[in-house]
Amino acid sequence: MNSKNIGTGGKKDVGEAIVVTSGKGGVGKTTTTASLGAALALRGQRVLVIDADIGLRNLDVILGLENRIVFNIVDVAKKICKPSQAIIKSKKSNNLYLLPASQTDDKDVIDEAEVRFVLEQFKREFHYILIDSPAGIEQGFRNACAGADSAIVVTTPEVSAIRDADRVVGLLSSKGIEARLIINRIDFEMVRRGDMLSVKDVQDILGIEILGVIERDEQIIVAANCGEPVTYNPKSKAGQAFTRIAGRVCGEQIAIPSFDGGSIWNRITKRLGVGQ
Amino acid sequence: MLFGESNESKDLAKSRLHFVLVQDRTGLTNEEMSGFREEMVKVIEKYFVIDKEGFDIKYHRLADTTTLLINSPVIVRRAGSMGSSSARSTAANEIDPSAVASNI
Repeated sequence: MNSKNIGTGGKKDVGEAIVVTSGKGGVGKTTTTASLGAALALRGQRVLVIDADIGLRNLDVILGLENRIVFNIVDVAKKICKPSQAIIKSKKSNNLYLLPASQTDDKDVIDEAEVRFVLEQFKREFHYILIDSPAGIEQGFRNACAGADSAIVVTTPEVSAIRDADRVVGLLSSKGIEARLIINRIDFEMVRRGDMLSVKDVQDILGIEILGVIERDEQIIVAANCGEPVTYNPKSKAGQAFTRIAGRVCGEQIAIPSFDGGSIWNRITKRLGVGQ
Repeated sequence: MLFGESNESKDLAKSRLHFVLVQDRTGLTNEEMSGFREEMVKVIEKYFVIDKEGFDIKYHRLADTTTLLINSPVIVRRAGSMGSSSARSTAANEIDPSAVASNI
């Protein structure tokens, strides 16, 4: 890699580092990092996704790159290898690279200053650096946030996930990191029935900008089985959502789809107990 | 709500979230919260006749502060309060919501 400038099409000299975090585990951070990374790469952006979940790495398997790992983020932080030796090009795109986590270390093997050092090695090479944070709010989370220019908080429309997201938004805010929200695994049929919080409900509760909404989609599991981000499946609603989110990250104005109770007639019949 | 109490489970989720987030954001215990609420009502009642049913405290997190929003429907100004000569006569069933905001 040459270290002069990021590739063609970029307006900025230095890439933007975005941490993907959530507090709660299992809400879709890694899937979001991989799928959004792939979607940005499809737009011609040079993208590095970093797995900051040291000891429990998974971004490699979501991207289907698990058998190509030689070095990892700890090796770059400790200067055991050159930065360019540790990153792995994705199978599907020349614009998408992975910096894997170490699987054999503890979260506190590197500190925040070392994470900043790692980011500095790549910021001029990439338009976007997406950092997949571990769950929790301890050292692993603090490492993942170090040097981030902004944050994407992933939640699902559930009480526990929203509560943790609120906590994380507060912590990010105290670090001066602006957070935008992705609501994952929404089921508009359940929202219509009144058995799931709507996009507006979640936004009202958390009070932060919504970057995207992803419907519950079986294709996410299929994509994970195959080690290919769901973004490459044009029929998948989740894949389409990540494509729209990539557009918003790049500054395009794209409306957020929502379903907040349906038509007035539906609402009335539902209240009367004669609705579907 | 068109027809009274809702039995939608998301409304329960909302009110439970509201409860835990207030505690998480303020760091106050449940007892401290209700104590605060009772004292606030007492202070406002010194000067106004209010609709206690509609009294509501909300916590909105902004960029770097949490804002306390106290919404207290005022039915009528209490006669003789704050040294004023006469209370403005408002119809008793006409409720003016007034909000007090302060940063915490």
